[in-house]
Amino acid sequence: MWQQVEQSLHSSMGRVMNKIATLLPGILAFIVAFLFFLLIGWLLSVVVTRILTAVRFDERMGRGANAMAEWSPRATPSLLIGRIVFWCFVIAGIVVGASAFEAGTSENILSGWILGYVPRVIGAAILLLAGNVLARFVSRSVLITGVNLNLSYARLLSMGVRWMILVLTGAMVLDHLALGGAIVELGFGILFGGIVFALALAVGLGSRDLVSRSLEREAARPVEVAQQSEKIHHF
Amino acid sequence: MAAVEITEETKQQVERIGSADVVVGIAGTVAPEELRVRAEGILRELGSGVSSLRFVFAWPGVTPQTVAGAEESAGSSALTMVPFSPPAQGAAEFWSGVSVNQRAVLSLAASLNARACIVLGPDLAALEPHSIQLLTYAILDRQCGLVMPVYPAAKYDGLLNIGILSPLSRALYGRRVRYPLAFDFAASGALCGSLARTSALAESSGNSLLWPVTVAATQFPQVPVGQVHIEVHHKVATEGLELSALLGQLAGSLFQEMDLCASHWQRIRGSQATPVWGNASDAPTDSQAIDTQPMLDSFLLGSKNLDEVWRLILPPNALLELRKLTRLGPDQFRIPDDLWACIVYDFALAYRLRTMSRVHLLGALTPLYLGWVASWVREVSNLSSAAAEQRLEQFARAWEEKKPYLLSRWRWPDRFNP
Repeated sequence: MWQQVEQSLHSSMGRVMNKIATLLPGILAFIVAFLFFLLIGWLLSVVVTRILTAVRFDERMGRGANAMAEWSPRATPSLLIGRIVFWCFVIAGIVVGASAFEAGTSENILSGWILGYVPRVIGAAILLLAGNVLARFVSRSVLITGVNLNLSYARLLSMGVRWMILVLTGAMVLDHLALGGAIVELGFGILFGGIVFALALAVGLGSRDLVSRSLEREAARPVEVAQQSEKIHHF
Repeated sequence: MAAVEITEETKQQVERIGSADVVVGIAGTVAPEELRVRAEGILRELGSGVSSLRFVFAWPGVTPQTVAGAEESAGSSALTMVPFSPPAQGAAEFWSGVSVNQRAVLSLAASLNARACIVLGPDLAALEPHSIQLLTYAILDRQCGLVMPVYPAAKYDGLLNIGILSPLSRALYGRRVRYPLAFDFAASGALCGSLARTSALAESSGNSLLWPVTVAATQFPQVPVGQVHIEVHHKVATEGLELSALLGQLAGSLFQEMDLCASHWQRIRGSQATPVWGNASDAPTDSQAIDTQPMLDSFLLGSKNLDEVWRLILPPNALLELRKLTRLGPDQFRIPDDLWACIVYDFALAYRLRTMSRVHLLGALTPLYLGWVASWVREVSNLSSAAAEQRLEQFARAWEEKKPYLLSRWRWPDRFNP
């Protein structure tokens, strides 16, 4: 009995060790491929950033109000492109690493699945990033403009715009990842429609007085401003 | 640095004229006939004082008629009319257009080797004998490199200039100039070429206004700068323009100049008085009281809603001071001079660091500016004109005293100074 158990354990241990021994070259190949791409990515990002700085790319991009710098103020355009190059190589490293991993083993299901899904993940990540940046930028624009127009509900408006864009982005990301199927579309439709309906109700019923007071004040302002502007000259 | 290019047609006219003593250029479209009549009137009135000088009057607007008219006038030795093609304008903003034309006039004056160049606003308000005489006198007789105007202003006029542009320019470049951004000014021939140039970076941003004092202080620190009293009141075409847009154009441009000339202004300490010629007329009086409550409301609304934006720009102590101000009643509300100076310095720094979109940044300054206007108007409303002048001087000195704060934050921006 004990001999059978021992034999069984030995054989399973042997199978595990065999499996690990089979996987090791694949893991090593993955690490080597990944590190290789990481290094190339880093080198290329540095080179690209330097070249763009040398050709004064940031200054050229700085023209016009809708420049890239306006959307991502802290990172200069050349730095941003350098980072994009770096992360493209990191992703490529993962994909090539996965292929190399499978070349070291007998199975190729994982690589096929990853290679098939990677473009969706990349697209979804870009959508998420763009949606977040857009939500932040637009909500801040609405807030500042609202305050400068003396709208007492500027913050509410800004938050509404931000969440609208975020919800829209979330739905687009899930749709792009093919997660949830029809539920996402349906859920988004209900949620988006609900937000618009809730806002309409809030304005129409809940905040009726607030809105009417604000609109009255707005309507009265031109006269007031005209009177003030006769006395005060900013420039 | 790129100089404003004058067109081939204008170059041909310049070659035909050869040289001039004084170039009087208009920085905007005018009626040529009106300009000619007024120019002849001025020369007639100035008489023997300028008889030895050759004047060239230039204005933007080349058409076959204007060129023919200019050629006719070439017969007169004292007066020459030169229409020039205005350079292509990248930006449609009012002040950018004025600056482009001002640079074109200066470029033309440099091409003509003029001894003095007088740049006037497009409304021709300053095209009168007394102004021309004073500006010419300051440049040719008193050897000034640059002469800026002092306009008669009521207590509530030019508040953006009083509150930001003038004290900031004075603290940075050390020249006590009342109107650093003006429609009318005069420059000596030596400065014309430099004033006509614009840096590539400023040009690329599409917001390259001409700040003559900055150019004089940074490129010609030894050249004297003067001021003359000009008794005109310009009709500014920015009426109806949204305040935040105006603030964005003017303060934004000055912040940009600040970034470009950082190595120069960091070396400047204190300020020099500038000689003033001419007699100041009595400033228009403001007898009517002004209701500052709407401006105060804008400030309070801003402090309630823009806290998250201001937090990215201002250090904690400034935010604390602002919060204290929101708790004060309208009668006690007053923004201290040093606090206001620090706030503007912090915004200039955030503009340089691109802490956020520059459009957002300058938009977030608007409620603070309105708060300052409310505070200032309340304070000077009961002062006489002379006392208001003194108060203005005290206000500008506070900016100079706070310059070390700007220097320290500019050099070590990550360190908040409590």
